[in-house]
Amino acid sequence: MKPFMKASLLALSVACALTTGARAAEKQQVYLSMSYIGNDWQAEAANMVKALAASKGYADKIDLKVQVAGPNAQRQIQQINAMVQAGAKAIVVYPISPTALNQVVKAACAKGVKIIAYDAEITEPCAYNVTIDQAEAGRKTAEWLVDKLGGKGNVVMVTGVPGTSVDTARTAAAKEVFAKHPDIKIVGEAVGMWSQAVARTELSKLLSTRKWDDINGMWMQVGCFTANSMQIEAGKTPEQLLPCAGEGSNGGRIQMLPADTKIDGASSPYVPMGAPRISYASPPYSGALALKLAVDLIEGKDVPQHTTLPLPLVTNETIKLCQTGEWEELKNGCNVFQPALVSNPGWFASIYSSELPGLGLQAALVGQPDE
Amino acid sequence: MNVSLSTDTVANGVNSRMPAVFGRSIRRARGMVVAIIVFFGLMLLQAFISPGPISYFDMSFLISGATPLALAAFGQTLVILSGGFDLSAGAVISLVNAVLAANMDPADMEASVLVWTLVGIATGMGVGAFNGLFIAIFRLQPIVVTLSTMFIIQGITLLVLNQPGGFVSPSLGTFYMGDAIPEFLPSALLLLAALALGWGWLKRTPYGVALYAVGSDRASAAAVGVRVPLVRFATYVLAGGFYGMAGVFVSAQTGSGDPTVGNPLLLSIFAAVVIGGTRLGGGKGGPVGTIFGALVLMIIVNILLALNVSAYFSTIAEGIVLICAVLLSSVSRHSVFTEQIKGAAATISAWRAGNLVSQREQTDRRLAFVTRSNPSVAEPAARPAFLKQHAETLRYAVPAYACLVLVLIATQLVLGSVFGNWNYWNSLLVLSTFLAILALGQGSVILTGGLDLSVPWMIGLSGVMLAGVVQGSDAALIYAVPMVLAMAALFGFLNGFGVVVLGLSPILVTLAMNGILQGIALLYSNGTPSGFASSGLRWFMTGHLLGVTPVIYALVLFVAGGVLLLGRTTFGRRVYALGNSVDAARLSGVRTGRVTILVYMLSAVCAGVVGILLTGFSGQASLGMGDDYLLPSIAVVVVGGALITGGRGHYLGMVGGALLLTALQTLLAGTSLPYAFRAIIFGCVVLAAVVALRERTN
Repeated sequence: MKPFMKASLLALSVACALTTGARAAEKQQVYLSMSYIGNDWQAEAANMVKALAASKGYADKIDLKVQVAGPNAQRQIQQINAMVQAGAKAIVVYPISPTALNQVVKAACAKGVKIIAYDAEITEPCAYNVTIDQAEAGRKTAEWLVDKLGGKGNVVMVTGVPGTSVDTARTAAAKEVFAKHPDIKIVGEAVGMWSQAVARTELSKLLSTRKWDDINGMWMQVGCFTANSMQIEAGKTPEQLLPCAGEGSNGGRIQMLPADTKIDGASSPYVPMGAPRISYASPPYSGALALKLAVDLIEGKDVPQHTTLPLPLVTNETIKLCQTGEWEELKNGCNVFQPALVSNPGWFASIYSSELPGLGLQAALVGQPDE
Repeated sequence: MNVSLSTDTVANGVNSRMPAVFGRSIRRARGMVVAIIVFFGLMLLQAFISPGPISYFDMSFLISGATPLALAAFGQTLVILSGGFDLSAGAVISLVNAVLAANMDPADMEASVLVWTLVGIATGMGVGAFNGLFIAIFRLQPIVVTLSTMFIIQGITLLVLNQPGGFVSPSLGTFYMGDAIPEFLPSALLLLAALALGWGWLKRTPYGVALYAVGSDRASAAAVGVRVPLVRFATYVLAGGFYGMAGVFVSAQTGSGDPTVGNPLLLSIFAAVVIGGTRLGGGKGGPVGTIFGALVLMIIVNILLALNVSAYFSTIAEGIVLICAVLLSSVSRHSVFTEQIKGAAATISAWRAGNLVSQREQTDRRLAFVTRSNPSVAEPAARPAFLKQHAETLRYAVPAYACLVLVLIATQLVLGSVFGNWNYWNSLLVLSTFLAILALGQGSVILTGGLDLSVPWMIGLSGVMLAGVVQGSDAALIYAVPMVLAMAALFGFLNGFGVVVLGLSPILVTLAMNGILQGIALLYSNGTPSGFASSGLRWFMTGHLLGVTPVIYALVLFVAGGVLLLGRTTFGRRVYALGNSVDAARLSGVRTGRVTILVYMLSAVCAGVVGILLTGFSGQASLGMGDDYLLPSIAVVVVGGALITGGRGHYLGMVGGALLLTALQTLLAGTSLPYAFRAIIFGCVVLAAVVALRERTN
């Protein structure tokens, strides 16, 4: 049974490959090499890349193929090489490692293939990178927290994946800020792995030997939504919530809205509560922007080797609810979505880019550009 | 059976030049031959479907790309042949990469290839010696020793190099990634060929023969005078050297360092070994097949690309390819699969003829002189004292609790507020719930001698589905929970089906299943899980009932149920019977296949329950939320005193293991130690906890 399934699967895909191959003859081959798709950020970023490829002005220019390498760097190396061999004009990459791909990227560049990395970096000089300034993210958010606390208090940190350059840069920059203020004390440091679920278990461990009252503020890479929910569960009122510098999840941003905001589809703790927050993010549109740059490069336009995205920072003063989530609306400055539209509070809300017209909520949710 | 295998191997070593033995060696090398055929088959397929011809460059790149995996899997094969298991392989690759990148002089473009290769190999061998010391000399279980080593090594790696960077001299890259003979022979291929030849020699040395003997039957090997500890120690050291070599190769390939580069290789390493035809448990197979297994895994990347398999389908396609590849190797007259088909055919014909046991009249056929009610034993012998009766169980279950007490005391000393702080106990119990539940499923599988690697995505898929179906509604839980658990049971059944009916290795089936489940979760959620936990489920995990989080009451019931299930039911007895000897169990009338399938279903349902509870705990489901539970689920079972090869262990011990690991993590999370030190301490404590579990001498 299984071999038969395999055979028919292969036959089917061969047929598909042949038909698309014939049609795509005049289109440029562009590949997306993702590392790991087992988390929400990656899937959202991929959706936005697909939406751009399907949008007007791109659909007839390029033929985008999406492949996943998994968490293993050797396989991504192999994949990028296979893409070059298959005739790629440009490859958009979410690199597993900033250094491991250098050799294969160099070889690809030598064949005239454009390599554009998003979110994480490739250190090989011929690669193009689209990232935020991670150190700035760590510094700005830490400064906000110090400011909120009046330069004094006990801080809990929740970091990302140890051993990655993103985590190291953010955490080091934040610690540098805290070190300048002798009255700021880091009382706990949990490894959050950039996951709300892990942040929850790690914070539970931290708080099993501590009380919320012993903590004055929190600096997190991912986990403010969870931390606020935990405080509510522990019987705190929204007014007592601790200031939290952290991620740009939709749930966290809904909590930032004033408590009397009218919204659809909310249920506690995914509700407005006026939580004191600064929200930053590695925006999931970086992949789509990388694809745009790839097309620009193929068309011979000038593209800087490193594109630093503006850091999306949202505070209680700038938070604004979107009604439909179309790009036109996002342009006017709204930055959080109705729970009725985005039912998962962990979903990443920083999807707006002025460079990517037409890519709104539908792009991030299902990979479709606005009509 | 095992004994005869080892004597065969010995005979093979002696008589290998006799033609009569030739047929048998081919049969024995079937796994390797199939891996080679599968590889070339896939290559032909690629040549057929890709637009251009396969060039020398493509081949050379493919081989160099697969070499780190092949080298590491080569080492792992030796360990597995000896009947062991090594989880530290990936961590050693990262360590060697970090050591090289951090210590090479960036100004020296012509660093000596020989010196740095030796540094890498020596580093790996050092770790191997550490493993070997505890496994061979102190007789601890390989899986838990190497798991501890893995954590310790990951910590040390971060101390050596805390983020990607460093410098590896291009001379290494030129040497290893270049050509031995330009346009004809890549250096990597030469290296692999040399190793294959080296193995051909090593296999015939006294060490090689002893390796197979030890892996087939340790007791028999010792009885015929093999110095078992020495052979096992040497195997781990040798394997460490191979991981070190893989680390050197990765460094050459990438030109710099990344402290996490090797860790994800671990599961691929096992897949390569199994595809290469080596049997887990030892004594059968060889590393040449493994090299082709690694190549197969690498060429799948090209095939998926050439077929343009959509991203969400890629893990599913890969899982199916893996199963098919291994299934091919088992198609023969004597494979489990064909035996099963023959058995089924025989059953049907017997049923037709009316000869089936169940069709016979239900009359009592016992001989007349057997006393029916057996009144003579009405007076049972006095039961031995509790301690004496349960001495074996206690010996293996108590160390986890003893260590737990030590960790609690340490927590009191370091952080204060443990004893007399109910909040601490409440958190500890809630957090232990996940591992305690997983331990019942994973523990039962391990008790039968299997292993369930599909736990992470069984958790992820269950959570994502539950959140998607309930959409925050409590009423929906009534049908959503049974639905999710039924789905989990179905996938558990498929796992068991693969193991029992298709006769595949549990590691391979469950690994492939993990990939398939990941694909299903992605397809179901379209990459973005929707929905969130209902308020009732959240209250269950985070609220309070009489000052206690409700899930703790359920945990108590669950543990009681688990103890009864494994200790007091026929199912439980059969699980232990299977773990001690499948053959003996079958001859005693146990329907071994049925029990095995049930055990995998139990494990899947437990993972499903954890997925549901985690969703309630976090309030939402996320795709990768089960990723952190695979190795801990195995660790708690072993720390709790179970034997990884099956047949020994008590569920209460495993619960103790879950409490110990959670308490330890809580202690470490409360300190402000850097992550690197936390990992090292975690590994050391787990190692210390199992020192008391050392096996007795044979």
